[in-house]
Amino acid sequence: MKTRKGYLMGLGALATIAAILVSADHIDAPSSAGTSADIADFYAFEPSEGSDNTVFVVDLQSNVLPDLAYGTFDEDVLTEINIDLDGDLVEDQVIQAIAKDGRMYFFGPVAPSQTGLNSSVYTEAALGDVEISGATAMVETTSDGVSLFAGPRQDPFFFDFFQFNAVISPELDSAPGGFLPPDEAADTFDGANTMSIVVEIPNSMLGTPTATNALGLSVYKTWVTTNRKQ
Amino acid sequence: MKLKQSIYITALVASLGIMVSCSNDDNGTYMDDDMMMDNDMMELDFSGTFSQVDHIGRPGINTTLSYDMEGEASVKDAHNTTIPSEMASTFQMGFQARLEQYHDVYALKLGLDPADVDYENNILGLDAATLTTVLAADVLEVAPDLPTTYFNPGTDLDNDGNVLVPDGDEVALTGRHPNDDIIDVSLILFFGGMQGDRFSGQDLDDDGMADLPRLTSDGVGLTANISTTFPYLGAPE
Repeated sequence: MKTRKGYLMGLGALATIAAILVSADHIDAPSSAGTSADIADFYAFEPSEGSDNTVFVVDLQSNVLPDLAYGTFDEDVLTEINIDLDGDLVEDQVIQAIAKDGRMYFFGPVAPSQTGLNSSVYTEAALGDVEISGATAMVETTSDGVSLFAGPRQDPFFFDFFQFNAVISPELDSAPGGFLPPDEAADTFDGANTMSIVVEIPNSMLGTPTATNALGLSVYKTWVTTNRKQ
Repeated sequence: MKLKQSIYITALVASLGIMVSCSNDDNGTYMDDDMMMDNDMMELDFSGTFSQVDHIGRPGINTTLSYDMEGEASVKDAHNTTIPSEMASTFQMGFQARLEQYHDVYALKLGLDPADVDYENNILGLDAATLTTVLAADVLEVAPDLPTTYFNPGTDLDNDGNVLVPDGDEVALTGRHPNDDIIDVSLILFFGGMQGDRFSGQDLDDDGMADLPRLTSDGVGLTANISTTFPYLGAPE
């Protein structure tokens, strides 16, 4: 059902779509897309089976499409990892990261003195700092067992973004068969890099969650924001 | 939704029993250094007020379910500057409309009446309103004490035939690892129906041609290098 003609017409339709959609958060909105504060992606995971640590990965910017400001961390952008313990969707702990003079400085985890859309750097809660890496990863570990990294990495996000835009196009002849079979589909992000901030932290420093997910499992509810200096 | 918790408790006990500490010794230059809180840090100026410009919780939610109308204020921008506790009430209706709109698009492409092709309850048993309420509150859940699985619809550990429907043998929604195929999971939740394969390129009349669109997988997997050791992501290309 999927035809080459349909695919090409889908790409043509793509050019006329006003809002280009890219996931995960890559280029998600007009105001932040393509800026140094654009969050590309967020991962949070247990680093190995049975570990007492949690890893947070924040990817800023992506060079998969032209015109993006890939390459450096903006010193006027504060990245915050927010952690809600009790499930009210208000942050109980924050971890902050901000670049300065070739290093990434981390603060927290700390209970924020104010929640919401405005922040300041919790300099009294310094966590550690790490040289911003080039191609070789430079990592630091603190006496508390927190590992820190900031620098360019491969963007692990995978998605056939061009076909997605053809799929969602309302043009009737755009991708009538939907997505492509694996032997024809292509990961648009293959070969892309991103600016990554990685923190691995003992769970004991974050607190014990009382929040649960849809399956009743105890979870932190987490999200990442970027915040620009006013 | 309470399910067979004993499975999870078993998994929890097993995971605690193993207690593997993280090995951070073979990926890049490691400087084990307790002197990072040096005076330099204290002298740096981090003063000022910082205002939020972007937000991410679950991957792909704002991008796929927020919809900007030409000439109107951007919903995507608004989503990025709304606190999570206010997201569901602000965005759920729009998300549900967008989800139905996607179905209408394919109804038209299939030559059907859009009124006849609607979202069907998904593998989690969620109706459109509930699914979009859950997703509108855009946060990523991560379990401190369980293996990380965004969602693996292929597990049926108790072999009861319910491969896709959660019946207590899943550890899911416990975080997001770089190798989790979150796009396929989202597509399955949006378009897969109760068994997860509602629109998966089926050949209904056995003529060798798909009669239904393939909407439950984008057909690609991880291509980047990832690592089992800190910082877990491959060196830049």
